[in-house]
Amino acid sequence: MAFRYRLEILAIIAVLGFCALFLYTSSIMTDAEFAGADTLGSSKVAEITGKAEEEFQPLVWQWAPPSGEIEAGIFALQAAIGGIMVGWVFGYWKGQKKREPIK
Amino acid sequence: MHIMEGFLPLYWAVFWWIIALPCLVFGIYQLKKVLEADREALPLLGVTGGFIFILSSLKLPSVTGSCSHPTGTGLSTICFGPWITSVICAIVLLFQSLFLAHGGLSVLGANIVSMGIVGPLAGYGVYRALRDSRVNMYLTVFLVCAFADLFTYFTTSLELALAYPAEVGGIASSFILFMSIFAITQIPLAIVEAVVLTLVFKYIVQLKPDILLRLKIFPEQKIIAARSES
Repeated sequence: MAFRYRLEILAIIAVLGFCALFLYTSSIMTDAEFAGADTLGSSKVAEITGKAEEEFQPLVWQWAPPSGEIEAGIFALQAAIGGIMVGWVFGYWKGQKKREPIK
Repeated sequence: MHIMEGFLPLYWAVFWWIIALPCLVFGIYQLKKVLEADREALPLLGVTGGFIFILSSLKLPSVTGSCSHPTGTGLSTICFGPWITSVICAIVLLFQSLFLAHGGLSVLGANIVSMGIVGPLAGYGVYRALRDSRVNMYLTVFLVCAFADLFTYFTTSLELALAYPAEVGGIASSFILFMSIFAITQIPLAIVEAVVLTLVFKYIVQLKPDILLRLKIFPEQKIIAARSES
């Protein structure tokens, strides 16, 4: 009775819905910058305390990626590490299953 | 969900570290125990941890015109509980504070508490409540992932509100203010994240149901029923 790819279909609908929502908001909100919520949170803190954002100095010294491109690269590296782990394990399980099929 | 380096006063940063550290120690102890008991748990840990790495590296746009990260902690919470999840989150957050200037070493404690402890604990509560109930297994996974994600951002808002109460209205009004930034942005992300992780869980059920049974993640009849369906 249950359709085999029910979850897959639901996932596709959710992702497409999400994309549609994004296209819609980005078309009606012309001033939207799509900045990180982290950054917005920080500027709210500055607003509440009445201090300039520059006054919040790191308590511990911190290296920051010198440009957005480099930051994007390191984020891609992080995703790649995760992707390799996931792919490796699914391959490992697939191989195991082939050798000794589960009843 | 990161609080940026320098954006928590020293005493709050220390306070969250004091909460985070015992949880991490307990998580490492549990991790050792699980892996000693069953070496086949290691690949499962790789998949669930891998998804935390992938999802928390993505910054997705949302309805509020800003971007935010999914957390990806739900799967690991279901399979290994909140404390081991804290350890994986600590690794990811350390990576991000060292190489990406997302978060920082002093606020790492606060970020671990939100993403690695309170979020997963909320998800774990949902999991324990629904595990043996008649609720569909995949729906349970979906709800756990969504709750873990949303509660992470509730906690970030609370952490900031506690440190920065508004002049008028105090902690409550600045909590609402921070929630308006974090929570609304997060709702669509949490739903998409939870759907994707549920799909991943389905593939684990299909490929490696024996590890789920051995770790007693869901009752046997639920897993068998899910397998015969697909």
